[in-house]
Amino acid sequence: MHLFLLGVSHRTAPVDLRERVDFSARGLDTALSALAERSTSSEAVVLSTCNRSELYVACDDVAAARRDLVDFLCSFHRLAADAVTPHLFEMTDAGVARHLFRVAAGLDSLVIGEPQILGQVKDAYQQAAEQQCAGALLNKLFHWSFLVGKRVRSETAVGEGAVSVSFAAVALAKKIFGQLGGLNVLVIGAGEMGKLTALHLKAQGIRQMAITSRTTAHAAALGEEMQATVVPWESRTAALGEADIVITATGSTLPVLARAEVEAVMRARRNRPLFLIDIALPRDVDPAAGELEEVFLYNIDDLHAIVQENLQRRGGELGRAEAIVAEEVEKFAAWLRSRSAIPTVVALRQRFEAIRRSELERLQPKLASLPPDVRARVDEVTHLIVEKLLHTPTEQLKAVPDPETMDIYSDALTRLFSLGLADGDDGMRRPPRTRTAVSPEGERPAVPVTDKKPVTS
Amino acid sequence: MPAVNIIPLSAYLVAAILYAVHFVRRSAPLGRAATTALAGGALAHTFIIGMQTMQAGHVPFAGTSQAISIFVCLLALAYLYTEMTTEERAMGVFIVPLLVLLQALPVVSPGAERRAEVLDSPWFGVHVSALLFAYASFALACMIGITYVLLFKEIKAKHLGFFYARLPSLQVLDAMNLRAVTIGWVFLTVGVIVGAIWAVEARAGAIADPRLQAMSLNDPKIFVALICWAVYTFELYARGVIGWRGRRAAWLSAIGFAIVLLNFVPIGYFLTKSHNF
Repeated sequence: MHLFLLGVSHRTAPVDLRERVDFSARGLDTALSALAERSTSSEAVVLSTCNRSELYVACDDVAAARRDLVDFLCSFHRLAADAVTPHLFEMTDAGVARHLFRVAAGLDSLVIGEPQILGQVKDAYQQAAEQQCAGALLNKLFHWSFLVGKRVRSETAVGEGAVSVSFAAVALAKKIFGQLGGLNVLVIGAGEMGKLTALHLKAQGIRQMAITSRTTAHAAALGEEMQATVVPWESRTAALGEADIVITATGSTLPVLARAEVEAVMRARRNRPLFLIDIALPRDVDPAAGELEEVFLYNIDDLHAIVQENLQRRGGELGRAEAIVAEEVEKFAAWLRSRSAIPTVVALRQRFEAIRRSELERLQPKLASLPPDVRARVDEVTHLIVEKLLHTPTEQLKAVPDPETMDIYSDALTRLFSLGLADGDDGMRRPPRTRTAVSPEGERPAVPVTDKKPVTS
Repeated sequence: MPAVNIIPLSAYLVAAILYAVHFVRRSAPLGRAATTALAGGALAHTFIIGMQTMQAGHVPFAGTSQAISIFVCLLALAYLYTEMTTEERAMGVFIVPLLVLLQALPVVSPGAERRAEVLDSPWFGVHVSALLFAYASFALACMIGITYVLLFKEIKAKHLGFFYARLPSLQVLDAMNLRAVTIGWVFLTVGVIVGAIWAVEARAGAIADPRLQAMSLNDPKIFVALICWAVYTFELYARGVIGWRGRRAAWLSAIGFAIVLLNFVPIGYFLTKSHNF
């Protein structure tokens, strides 16, 4: 069984193509059920965001799955194959894990370390799991990717620092005031950028928001939209005394707030800190106001500079993040390899169990004279011997480091123990029996022996 | 005082290193390890002081070195308390090195084993405990103030870097500073008043000790202690009335603690004639 990934992303396809292969438009559930009707892959997860559309599948034949998925992609979105094919990328096995881990950690995103993608990966998996499209292989892969996403975010600074102007302003406000819960915000001017920043602040649960603008109609409209009190332009200085955070975004060509004005306000508020966010161009607040004690003045350029710095810092963390991904991919690959041992392990166990059972059956006449508890003990001891004999070879087989050696080992085991098709004569094809077959009056409940240890672990 | 003081000293040293690495790398497990080391050190320290108390029959305050050791222990406990209540580990890198430096003193110079006869008074215990607790609070306030100034400068200069990413908000630091200074001020006041009462009582008593005669405003230890009290009283007044919060309050706590340290170590060891027990 192989992992296979086929998709388009912002790295391989222009935005108009990405829009046309977006699965979320017609619903992931439709896509998943359409995919499930095709028989080349046994498991599937569809990840579709504005920056990527990716099909994760588990299949036996990679070449067939590729053909089938390209066909599916084209027919589902009604696109010509040659329009899509040049923009497709694909991965197999550990490559799929590497890609998904990087995606979940936000390393493949347009803005490095952005936090939404992990939630989108989780949703994609959740949807597939609900429609029973994800099986053992994709379950493991996706849960692993959630852990990698979390690990990268907690152990590196790749997701730290605001990367948009309004978030940078909110982060600064938090660093100055701690909790924003009890704060008053005053918005001066009705500019779009000011509104956006005010909305972000509002989402932090501030106490009160007031809006003032030279044009009363603008202030009234914005005030209604944002559920904020409207302050007449003339009483803005009084409102300034009440506010902890002031956002200025007027279209005025002259400064709206002079240093002397701010100084007077600060005296009245006995130096309670004041955070002035000047998003207007040209500037609304006299830069000299920022020299006052307990006044923190940031203009749009300062905020842009912070965003740039944060982006650079995130980029600087990439190396450490990639190292974590590489480490996890290595572990996942080891798990994948150990899975390829499963058929051999199962066959080997069945073989041993069959031998044990046929020997017990052969001794049935002699054993029949023994008391039930002794017969149960015989059953238990023989079972334990088989378990002990198989333990080391099973572990060794699962730890084989590469596929070639795995083939050699499996082949050797198949030959040495005549596993496979030729062993129908000693119980391999019989349904699994329970212990009660040997000790019908045994006190223990009838537990199917072959189910005792799940081999998929 | 026996060499057991080296046990908490080593634990504090380990904690200081762990806090520093934690601060730079911001690794949560390292931070937990640092707290564990510090808590271990403080526990061992408390245990040692407890044993000495049992042995001597009174809290072992005989001399500056023992007083410093108890001060270190109190500061460690006070810091651990703030760490638990604020869930903020960033301050450890500033406080724990101070513990190491101060704890080195009693290790190097163990000081008196027995306490002078004149100190056999319940007032004495209250006097010293209150002052040591006040000093521990002032030490915390000072370190919090320093971190406030570091963060304040980064935000003012619009260059958000090292401290911005690691310290709690200015508001939290300011509130912590206020709390520490208030608690310290109350204990300082109590300590000074009790000291005065005790000195008057002791002079009236039977024991003739030259140190008792030296207990007046002319003695550097007593004089400087009163200056401390004036500085912290001013800080609280200025904060409440003039609105000197934030950076100014932070500077005042730093100045106040510098005077405390001066009084505690050089004056306590070399200059005072009234407190040289």
